[in-house]
Amino acid sequence: MESSSQDLHSPWYGRRKLLKMLEGYAYLTPTLVVLSIFVFIPIISSFQLSLTRVAPFGNAVRYVGLENYERLLVRLINVEAAQTYLPYLLVALVLSVIAIIGYSILKHQPFGQYRSRLQYLIIFVVLVYIIAIVQGALRVSLIFTLGTTIPGITISVFLAIALSMPLRRFSWFHRLLIFVPIVISSAVTGVLFRWIYHPVVGYINYVLSLLGIDGPNWLSDADWAIVAIMLAVLWRQLGFNVIIALAGLQSISSTFYEAAKVDGANLWHQIRHITLPLLSPTLFFLFVINTINSLQVFGEIDVLTQGGPGETTRTLLYDIYFLAFRGTPQRGIASAESFVLFILIVILSVVQFRIANSRVHYQ
Amino acid sequence: MLKKLSVFVLLSVLALVLTTTSAQEPIELQFWHAMGGDLGEVVDELVARFNESQDEIVVTAVFQGSYDDTYNALLAALETDSMPNVTQNFDLATQTMLDFPGLLPANTQFGDDFDPSVFVPAVRDYYSDENGMVAMAFNSSTPILYYNAEIVAEAGVDLPDNDSLSFSELLEACDTIMANTDTQYCITFGQVGWYFEQILANSGGLYFNNDNGRTARASEVMFNQGLGVEVFTFLTDLMANGYAPNLGNTWTDTDATFLAGEAAMIFDSTAGARGFQEAAEFEVDTTYIPHADSAERNGVVIGGAALYLLDSGDEATNQAAWEFMRFMSQEPQQITWHTGTGYFPVRSSLQDNEELQTFWADNPNFLTAIQQLADTNTTLDDGAPNYAVLGGRAGPFPAIRQLIVTAYSRVLDDGLTPQEALDEAAAAANQELADYNAFFE
Repeated sequence: MESSSQDLHSPWYGRRKLLKMLEGYAYLTPTLVVLSIFVFIPIISSFQLSLTRVAPFGNAVRYVGLENYERLLVRLINVEAAQTYLPYLLVALVLSVIAIIGYSILKHQPFGQYRSRLQYLIIFVVLVYIIAIVQGALRVSLIFTLGTTIPGITISVFLAIALSMPLRRFSWFHRLLIFVPIVISSAVTGVLFRWIYHPVVGYINYVLSLLGIDGPNWLSDADWAIVAIMLAVLWRQLGFNVIIALAGLQSISSTFYEAAKVDGANLWHQIRHITLPLLSPTLFFLFVINTINSLQVFGEIDVLTQGGPGETTRTLLYDIYFLAFRGTPQRGIASAESFVLFILIVILSVVQFRIANSRVHYQ
Repeated sequence: MLKKLSVFVLLSVLALVLTTTSAQEPIELQFWHAMGGDLGEVVDELVARFNESQDEIVVTAVFQGSYDDTYNALLAALETDSMPNVTQNFDLATQTMLDFPGLLPANTQFGDDFDPSVFVPAVRDYYSDENGMVAMAFNSSTPILYYNAEIVAEAGVDLPDNDSLSFSELLEACDTIMANTDTQYCITFGQVGWYFEQILANSGGLYFNNDNGRTARASEVMFNQGLGVEVFTFLTDLMANGYAPNLGNTWTDTDATFLAGEAAMIFDSTAGARGFQEAAEFEVDTTYIPHADSAERNGVVIGGAALYLLDSGDEATNQAAWEFMRFMSQEPQQITWHTGTGYFPVRSSLQDNEELQTFWADNPNFLTAIQQLADTNTTLDDGAPNYAVLGGRAGPFPAIRQLIVTAYSRVLDDGLTPQEALDEAAAAANQELADYNAFFE
């Protein structure tokens, strides 16, 4: 059969298409092989492992179905509270919708204009519900993540604004001070803060005592231990956050500020109406990265508290490590928990991207 | 003729080959251990001594990190078929090691010239099953009560040299110390599971059912009943009522408190004897750990770790590994080990050893531990084994110990009663036991 290459019914065309496709895959193969060995296959086999119970003495494995996940559900979520608060959640959601509708009528605006506000309200209500019902390692992780990302980003934005002001002769020195933690590993951070927090010879309580304050026993007090780790992680991540925020600031054209000055805007107005909106893509990036980093903090916890006192600093990640590698090894439930963490990160990222779509201003 | 000659040549070549290989190629053994720092240096010294003592076996000692790290390395080695010949594992892992597929019980290698009765009974029995010793006790320790002799004397309290106080006697001493001196705390100890286990055993209480898991697999914990509650109430009350600082799950912050003179007494391992002696700026004295009011003193369970023989599949190699383990338990090595670390010698005969007698005269605190163990009633009045002091044995014991650590926090931070906290721990522990035992159904 003779035909031109344009003839879609030609078998030659089909073969060429196939060859082209194969060529594409050939280029992809090296990457796919590496990814398969180090990412995809381990993910699949750890999912298989999460459906089993592995004997702590070695090679015996029992298939247990979803039992590990059921146990995790009970460990991580207060089922009783979840049921008790569910009606409140539904009522709160309905009220949010009514409130936004009412607001739009009051303002004589179409409802569609307030969709993003409704979205925020719903996310806020659901977040409150989730905080109320989680327990154990999930609760620790959630508190830890909120407690490091929000203050961390806030502080670094203001530091970056301060550093970007061309006033100080020693500004390079101040930048250095803030950037230094970047080169320090999390384990070293842990060791440094162990000394800072030491109940007898630690600096923090010494400084506090000069002010007449009797400092807490940072690492063994059930309420303070998590704060102690948050501060250490916050310090270590600060350098990175400030660098990124500084880069974001420098990409904002000075013409906006000049125009604002002409219009008589003061410093706060400039920050509020120019800097923050134009910095929002950077802030969003920082928020995603910091959330994921906070969920994956290990070094500081291992060096400072090893999850204690009790289980007050045992985050999801540390719980996984603890179950799999400490004491009696329980690889099955640890694998299941790592899947829970994976799903959690996926959900958080999706939520953050949704917020980003409606709120982040790209220049 | 030719045939005969060729056979002769063949045989002589074979003989030559055999003798040269046995002379030139020593058996190489891997020994994994979890002794870091100063302890690791003593281990290296003993291994070097073994390698110099003969030329058929060469042992390489590999420090693998903590006990948990060493055990996880072993699990990985099992899968990749690269196990060491001898590994160290800690007391609580005994049942798991018994169930470990690669284990070769030490008693299978005992020759006619090996007599297990030379070991301190408590040590030997702890690591034995119905066929005898499965592991070679190596670094054994027990908890003792260390006290600041100056504070105690200042308070006018007279603590017994080698005896165990009851809870109320200890509290009475505490009241006197805190009233007559300006010491902030009477006692300090970390919220680790070990002291609870030991004081429960000293009071004659069982941790697990089925005779502490020694006559059949443990299926339930017993620590939330009777004596267990009494002991846990005593320990948590010490912290709740201000006799002891709440320092959390720690082995080191308590030492700092004791050494700073802020607490008059401390529960700690005998392995810390040398450290306290060298670091303290006051005289440190020792006595036995206390027991419940409702019980007599029973004695202590040995802690520490033992050496396990792993099956290499080759009889000569296994025999060589056993030779090494045996060497480590011999008198000269045990003397070096004891004086270098504070872990006590595991052979009964060493209690009369002259070198050690001199050492103990200068370092009496090292002797307290040995006497406390020698004073342990391993058999009851009716001749039955005293399973309480033989110590609990269960596969998930390490995880269960951790539940007790959590129980401290549940009482001291969350306001549960000791009974409630122990019940909660027991429910989780029983689940762990059921999960483990399900592998043997």
